[in-house]
Amino acid sequence: MKLFNKNNNLAALDGGKKFSLDKALTITTFILLIIIVIIPVFMIVFNTFFDKAVTGKWHIDFSMFRTQLTDAKNLGAMWNTVKIALFTTVVGTIAGVFYAWLLGRSDIPAKGLMKALFNIPYMFPPFLGAMAWDMLLNGRGGYFNKFLMNTFHLENAPLNINSIWGIVFVEVSYYFPFVFMQVVAALEKMDPTLEECARIAGAKQSTVIWRITLPLTKPAISAGALLILTTSLAHFGVPSIIGYSQGIYTLPTRIYAVIYNAGGSFDGIRQGAALSVLLVAVVSVALILQNKILSSGSYDIIKGKSTRPTLIKLRGSKYPLLVFCILTLIIIVVVPLVMIVLVSFVKAYGLPLKLKNFSFIQYKRVFSGGGTIDSIKNSLFASVTAGVVCMLLGTLVAYVVQKIKPKNKGALEFMSMLPYAIPGTVLSIGVILAWQGAIFHINLYNTIWIIIVAYLARYLSFSMKTSSAALLQVSSSLEEAARACGASHTESLSDITLPLIRPAMVSGFFLIFLPAMREVTTSILLYGPKTRTLGVQIYGLRDAGMIPQAAALATVAIGIIIILNTVVNYIVKDRKGV
Amino acid sequence: MAEVKFENITATYGKKTVLKDFSLSVNSNEILCLVGPSGCGKTTLVRCLLGLMKPDSGSIKVGDKVLFDAKKRINVPAEKRNIGIVFQDYAVWPHMTVLENVSYPLKKRRVPKEEIAHRAMDALKLVHMEMYANHLPMQLSGGQQHRVAIARALVVDSEILVMDEPITNLDAKLREEMLLEIRMIQSRLKSTVLYITHDQQSALQLCDKMAIMEPDGSLCQYGSDEDIILSPANRFTFEFIGVSNMIPVCKKNGKVRLACGADYEIDNEAPADIDFSKKIDMGVRMNDVVFDKKSDIKASVISKVFLGSEYNYFLRLGEKEIRMQQSMLDAKMNGVPEDGESVGIRFVNPRFYLAKENANEAI
Repeated sequence: MKLFNKNNNLAALDGGKKFSLDKALTITTFILLIIIVIIPVFMIVFNTFFDKAVTGKWHIDFSMFRTQLTDAKNLGAMWNTVKIALFTTVVGTIAGVFYAWLLGRSDIPAKGLMKALFNIPYMFPPFLGAMAWDMLLNGRGGYFNKFLMNTFHLENAPLNINSIWGIVFVEVSYYFPFVFMQVVAALEKMDPTLEECARIAGAKQSTVIWRITLPLTKPAISAGALLILTTSLAHFGVPSIIGYSQGIYTLPTRIYAVIYNAGGSFDGIRQGAALSVLLVAVVSVALILQNKILSSGSYDIIKGKSTRPTLIKLRGSKYPLLVFCILTLIIIVVVPLVMIVLVSFVKAYGLPLKLKNFSFIQYKRVFSGGGTIDSIKNSLFASVTAGVVCMLLGTLVAYVVQKIKPKNKGALEFMSMLPYAIPGTVLSIGVILAWQGAIFHINLYNTIWIIIVAYLARYLSFSMKTSSAALLQVSSSLEEAARACGASHTESLSDITLPLIRPAMVSGFFLIFLPAMREVTTSILLYGPKTRTLGVQIYGLRDAGMIPQAAALATVAIGIIIILNTVVNYIVKDRKGV
Repeated sequence: MAEVKFENITATYGKKTVLKDFSLSVNSNEILCLVGPSGCGKTTLVRCLLGLMKPDSGSIKVGDKVLFDAKKRINVPAEKRNIGIVFQDYAVWPHMTVLENVSYPLKKRRVPKEEIAHRAMDALKLVHMEMYANHLPMQLSGGQQHRVAIARALVVDSEILVMDEPITNLDAKLREEMLLEIRMIQSRLKSTVLYITHDQQSALQLCDKMAIMEPDGSLCQYGSDEDIILSPANRFTFEFIGVSNMIPVCKKNGKVRLACGADYEIDNEAPADIDFSKKIDMGVRMNDVVFDKKSDIKASVISKVFLGSEYNYFLRLGEKEIRMQQSMLDAKMNGVPEDGESVGIRFVNPRFYLAKENANEAI
């Protein structure tokens, strides 16, 4: 078999046996990745360009793609998608870098607390934020708009969130932490002598920031910016909640609308697939551009020695900037949160937010129907299952890539990272096309398993990355020493390697479990009558006009997320002590 | 205890051949130091012996047990080879205590529980680590971790002990101690030791026999340490072991003369088989250059370093900078020259080798 290096170190370990553990692991990995990742992607492309409806036989058919491409609505949606993603990325990156620098390198007070608080928007589900802002600033009867109109006796609503700019604002609020967290980490690990040398060489403080600090953190900035860009291009929740009422569509919401309007018919799904190809094309162009613009090398700015970087004195602007930071947090975290909680207590949507209008009736209503409890159960089940399977599978892929190193490990890595660049919406359509009976007549449609399969594809790269990083730290001599001590290959894996990477596997699990718990982009296309997820349930309630009920469930969801996050932090901290 | 025999081992990584028809044997109850520059294939040889890598051809035997034979299609798996190994990075498992580390080989051999505890403690006592039995490796220093690795390699009474650059990461003083300890343990247990290093100093200190590998992975010389130092097989061995000066020379009127910008005749005879029509270098070890006031050969002192038991000098000899060593005894008797002073020197026991550019032409 040409698949393996002839003299590969570990492949040769089981010398005598024809079929070694390593070969088995490698082949298993390939098969699993093909099933989970390649088949859905293939199905989209295949169904876009091939058709058998007319002649009964599969033949190349560009007509579907052409009609979709020339449809003015779709082109408008594409243009909106690009515009929103571009503005979100630029503004989000600038905001992320600014706050990262402020909290990472200046002498602003209460830094530790502020850093922790600035991570909250990352945990906050963006579509809940969109819901809250819609309640506040809806062009027709948002609470804040009403307040302004009453106070200043205005005819029209002064602010309108239901616009492209509204979408950009909400997305920036919850996506800038992608850049923020990456850059803060880079700044903290940066060797301060790099900056000190520039100062000694005669550069001014501002020159140092502009010419030294910023270029050195470029890899971190670009990684974060890319994450914002791809997430925003593929995002469903925010544009759908804010843009729907004004007829503002993006590609993901358009795909949803097309499929929804077709009532789940195959033709609708095919149209969706064609649009998906369009979306993938947009994402690919974005990726290539990003690569071109920001590929000028990465630097090794991280030194093993941890030194405390010199903090830059803000002097007079110290407290104004602190107030500015706090204001930012209030606007993007506190206001939406308070809004959702307040609306969840209101007896009927639109009533003034006064104590006499408050009750628990919405909570009673939302939990009296069976759907809500089921949706929480479904989300828990799907997230836990996806988390566990991804954790195991991601570790398997990482082990094969890092330690076994088969000849085509590049292909393996590519396959596992592919879904990272493919929007959740697109993946969902691929999963529908693949597991609706098309392959081996396996039909998972309308079961929770189709959601789990989609989660696997979508989140696999997360766990693979953490396990990869951990495995790199495990020197191969540790495993070899075990072999020399009389352990078989399997025993050396279970006695040495697995215990050493267990903490990374656990954090990989939570990296998948938490976002999957509040996810809506993927499951909105995949849910069936009995398999609504928490996100879908909230979205559905709101869509049906039961906004206070949606708010009540959202409050519960946020509560669950906060509790889980606290538990995770506790567990992860505990692990580090070992 | 048994001897180790490598016969005609050829090993490749992808397209790169690391070892070609390599043969070597390690005598029973001896320490063999395998010395060679980085990247010459020492570690590859160890990996083949341990069964972590499969050679393309050849055979490996320990005593009368065949571990690997390409022709007979024998390849004993790594876990059944019963070879103790100490890796360069120790490879002490960080998630197990010292005692668990040392017990692991016994556990894998299904030794009864009471015996495991007993034997593991014995092994730890051997390396003076019994008081650290319940420590985790990260609580230990590099030297202590190294001892744990040795104890782990010794605990199962392996016939062969392999050490792959085990002390390179230690500081000078600890290195010295560890070498003595390895020697003592070996003489007590009478085991066969294959010690791999690129550091000739520790090899000289430790070995019974030495084997020198060339950068291309071939075996260059095998013998006792005296053999290697006093009669190096070729220019590579001569230059690799000890600090040496290479001075270009030529032959005029049947006499050997320096050809380094300082035209002096030297009294040393060159062997008859040296072909002076080619470029020839004279090799002299730094302690084979001696001061001699009567000598015609004059050099000037560039600088000197006092090293406690001797002086090291940099001398200018024509265009060439050469190094020499003066023992304290000589310094006491004949004095220490000042920097810039002109001194008479003489060469003891020089060797003659083809100059490097010739060698390249030949290839």
